[in-house]
Amino acid sequence: MKIAVVGKGGSGKTTTSAVLARTFARHGHDTLALDCDSNPNLGISLGIGEEATEALVSVRDAVDAGEEQHATSMDDLVSRFGVDAPDGVRLAVVTAIQNPEPDCP
Amino acid sequence: MRVAFVGKGGVGKSSLSGSFARVLAEAGERVLAIDSDPMPGMAFSLGLEQSDAGLPDDAVEEYEEDGRQRYRLREGLTGTDAVEQYAQRAPGGVHFMQLGKARGPQWNNRRQHFGFQRLLDDLPGDGWSIVGDLPGGTRQPFLTWGRYARTFLVVIEPTPASLLTGRRLARLAETARAPRVVAIANKVREPGDAERVSSRTGLDVIGSVPFDPALADADRLGKAVLDTDPDGPTATAVRSLVQTLQKSEEQS
Ligand SMILES: Nc1ncnc2c1ncn2[C@@H]1O[C@H](COP(=O)(O)OP(=O)(O)OP(=O)(O)O)[C@@H](O)[C@H]1O
Ligand SMILES: [Mg+2]
Repeated sequence: MKIAVVGKGGSGKTTTSAVLARTFARHGHDTLALDCDSNPNLGISLGIGEEATEALVSVRDAVDAGEEQHATSMDDLVSRFGVDAPDGVRLAVVTAIQNPEPDCP
Repeated sequence: MRVAFVGKGGVGKSSLSGSFARVLAEAGERVLAIDSDPMPGMAFSLGLEQSDAGLPDDAVEEYEEDGRQRYRLREGLTGTDAVEQYAQRAPGGVHFMQLGKARGPQWNNRRQHFGFQRLLDDLPGDGWSIVGDLPGGTRQPFLTWGRYARTFLVVIEPTPASLLTGRRLARLAETARAPRVVAIANKVREPGDAERVSSRTGLDVIGSVPFDPALADADRLGKAVLDTDPDGPTATAVRSLVQTLQKSEEQS
């Protein structure tokens, strides 16, 4: 099952995603929580804490740094750059804007 | 005064920026309010009905440069002309321009997107105050949608996710050499909240707005809190914020 949660700012996307992910995991499903927001906060709602959320390296940054050459598959990337969250959820951040890039809205 | 409101999704940018624009107009300034979020927002807090319309299609022309498709304002149309011709009038005489809102699955927004950015490069100068409402998150506010601003107002709630966003924006601003970046603490419930915002983000907090149920009520009705509760906590806080900024502008 693959679920995407979308909606307006502040309407509860991140909170809903976190509750869904942890609920699936508690029911025994292997669960990957993917934070696709360029301002990623899902870690906070999943319960890994503010500092760990801030320290996460996004898969895109890892790929940009050439790290994917050492990974054999997407699963491998997620296991290298994801982190464990409560209830056995695996969390990975897709992309994060760290540096300004002119002309890119 | 040229300010842009930024911050995490849902922190209160639209509510505060629309109110701020109205209060500036009350104080006698000529105000242009600019909403560059493709999702609805600022119109309500200005006291307007929401519409999807942005710059009309014929205000923007397409051209080719080095084999790339580019967009500019129609030949002969300056940014100031575009504001005079196409801005909506909000209560208090505020001029309101918005980026067109997302309309359905097939909406190609390139023309709107880049045409609107050309407008931002050529906004009216002398005698105008500009107040911008930017999209939520950290997507390049300093170099693109807010590039006209002299002061960026980062709206921050005392929650971990909003504080984290505030820190990210402060960091992005450093690298982008943004002119001046300060924080507004919003949805404040406890005396220590504003202090928490400043110590956790490193930003100066130049104003605080209390958690105000009247604002949430106005929002549900799609109305401006300045109309439904003109002397309530939000209106009072925004007036004092405007005064603070006016003073700091005089000094600089
Ligand atoms: N001081 C406040 N007290 C109570 N509720 C508030 C306050 N400020 C904002 N809100 C509420 O928070 C919600 C989000 O506000 P608003 O739409 O202004 O945020 P935004 O930052 O523009 O969001 P988006 O990122 O989606 O554009 C609304 O329901 C609004 O009523
Ligand atoms: Mg908004």
